[in-house]
Amino acid sequence: MAEIYKKEIQLKDYPKDVLLNFYRTMVKIRKFDENLIRLMQEGKVSGFYHSGIGSEGLSAGSIRENLRDEDYIYYNHRGCNQKIAKGVPLSKIYGDFLGTTEGTTKGLGAGIVHSADPARGVMGQAGTIGSQLGIGIGTAYASKFKGTDQVTVIYFGDGAASREMLHGSLNWAGLYNLPVIYICENNEYAISCHVSETHAVREHIADWAYGYGIPNCVVDGNDVLLMHEATKEAVERAKRGEGPTFIEAQTFRHRGHFEGDPYDYVDGELLKDWKENKDPIRNFVSRLLLDKVTDEQELKTIDQEVEQEILEAIKKAESAPQPEPGRIYEGLFA
Amino acid sequence: MRTINMRTALLEALNEEMERDETTLIFGEDVGKFGGINKVTQGLYEKYGNRVFDTPIAEPTIIAAAVGMAITGNARPIPELQFGDFAGIAFDEIFNKMGKWRFMHGGQMEMPITLRLPVGIAGGAGPEHSQSPQALFMHGPGLHIAIPSTPYDAKGLLKTAIRDNNAVLFFEHKILYDMKGEVPEEEYLIPLGKADIKREGSDVTIIATALQVHTALEAAEDLVADGVEVEVVDPRTLAPLDMETILSSVRKTGRVLIVHEESKTGGSGAEITAQIQEEALFDLAAPIRRIGSPDVPIAQNIYLEQFYRPSKEQIIQAVNDLMEY
Ligand SMILES: Cc1ncc(C[n+]2csc(CCOP(=O)(O)OP(=O)(O)O)c2C)c(N)n1
Repeated sequence: MAEIYKKEIQLKDYPKDVLLNFYRTMVKIRKFDENLIRLMQEGKVSGFYHSGIGSEGLSAGSIRENLRDEDYIYYNHRGCNQKIAKGVPLSKIYGDFLGTTEGTTKGLGAGIVHSADPARGVMGQAGTIGSQLGIGIGTAYASKFKGTDQVTVIYFGDGAASREMLHGSLNWAGLYNLPVIYICENNEYAISCHVSETHAVREHIADWAYGYGIPNCVVDGNDVLLMHEATKEAVERAKRGEGPTFIEAQTFRHRGHFEGDPYDYVDGELLKDWKENKDPIRNFVSRLLLDKVTDEQELKTIDQEVEQEILEAIKKAESAPQPEPGRIYEGLFA
Repeated sequence: MRTINMRTALLEALNEEMERDETTLIFGEDVGKFGGINKVTQGLYEKYGNRVFDTPIAEPTIIAAAVGMAITGNARPIPELQFGDFAGIAFDEIFNKMGKWRFMHGGQMEMPITLRLPVGIAGGAGPEHSQSPQALFMHGPGLHIAIPSTPYDAKGLLKTAIRDNNAVLFFEHKILYDMKGEVPEEEYLIPLGKADIKREGSDVTIIATALQVHTALEAAEDLVADGVEVEVVDPRTLAPLDMETILSSVRKTGRVLIVHEESKTGGSGAEITAQIQEEALFDLAAPIRRIGSPDVPIAQNIYLEQFYRPSKEQIIQAVNDLMEY
């Protein structure tokens, strides 16, 4: 059954700039999110938004130092985190939310789902959550078919893991030994339902992978370095032609399912504990400071640089025009 | 008479039928303690306990399980899909199983399922959460299709659907949840297959469903100034389809406009048009006109979204064209 991934990690084993890059990526994700929520409150962004605050470590750790532009990802519906870690320009993501021509969809509007940046390996996301579990198999199959060492990483939630498609996907991945990595962002809730109310697994979601002969583990998704190490092993395995890996990363939503969700189905004390004691950014900062990798001043400078980058991205996205009405007729066929 | 919104009307229908018949069961994603993402099942879990339950996110299994429950005769399932678009995920279960299981096994079982499906363009929900897929199921035998436009119709139709021993797909337009209308306190039922004339008129028949009934009614009010009297017919169920009411209106006015939010090509209007011309071609003074959404996926951008939904202006234009023909 699924093992808990453990590893003694010494900060001194990492170059300082790598550590600071992890920090910068996580801060970028959080500030992106906070500013997007501000734009929603100002009435500039409509529709649904699923905030990724609280699970920045999972995306930054798995992607930042492990994946190249040519490696593919399918982000989940809390996945601005993953798009940002993979390097999609912030102005493009904001453009999708604002529905301006700066967005990756050139004004069709999108946001959490349907942004894409194929040049950076960001292949999109299904509004029917979990459908990427099947599509990602095709991407991995194509890489194997072509003989490249490209890796496909599929992100999905614990709720999406109950989709029938997970099993079809795992079966193919195991059967054809595909270079695919499953990262289940287990934040315990699927809208209002706790994972224990909707899953008949032995113990962990990762246990399912075992049945298909796929190496698997459960990892603290809020520990950016642990997340990095676990994914690194999976990426190396895939590149060596040894096939799929399933990683169940544990985390928690700081906010409700969508903006506007009262989030009253979660115990207040529990939420407080995740926010105060398990925040991926806060804990990483403590560690960096404790080991004297950096100091508060340097981190503050990074914060300011990120803030500046975000404000410029928003400006760029906002100042681009709305599409012409005819936009809806473009792009259906090649 | 009291006025309530469609959400409340639907909830009343569910509540009354759950109370009346102990074999009714409500299930789907977040329909329990959370009360459904559109809050149509709010309070039912508290009242009926394990007769209302949350399921895993597994649409094919939700529908397949409903079929299995129904054919035993021991349960009347009322499943909910969070978005009608997800019918696509469970297409085999809806199209090939719910619709056909009874017939292909010699008619030996009943299929008392009422599947609730929210549909329609509403605030940037995007191409997989905004569609109106009802016409797809007109093509598949064995399924009843209800699509109410008012709280009154919604309540009466839902109660009938739940009591019916056949599978009913019950489409609810998301924008209508908050729309109010008169609903009596006392119990009533509306039969499946009985259209309603929402407005009487002598010049043009507009056949509209769901939200478009209201758009058509608004257009009709404006057209009075031009001296045009529009009749608005709401089929209320697309299967069975009340061609009798439709045809008698068509014979009266001789001019027909069909309006729906489904894509124009292959939408319910295509079938209704075909049937009218089969039965009443020589009663027509002009070719039948249709307004539907353009045949492209629905953009997420709310500014662009408006270009999909049929508008009052489009309707007025089409009616004037018909009058001048
Ligand atoms: C196939 C499908 N069913 C239902 C939904 C509606 N829905 C969107 S997100 C969600 C919950 C997802 O939970 P999870 O996968 O755990 O991700 P989380 O939101 O917790 O990050 C649901 C039910 C959907 N978009 N697609």
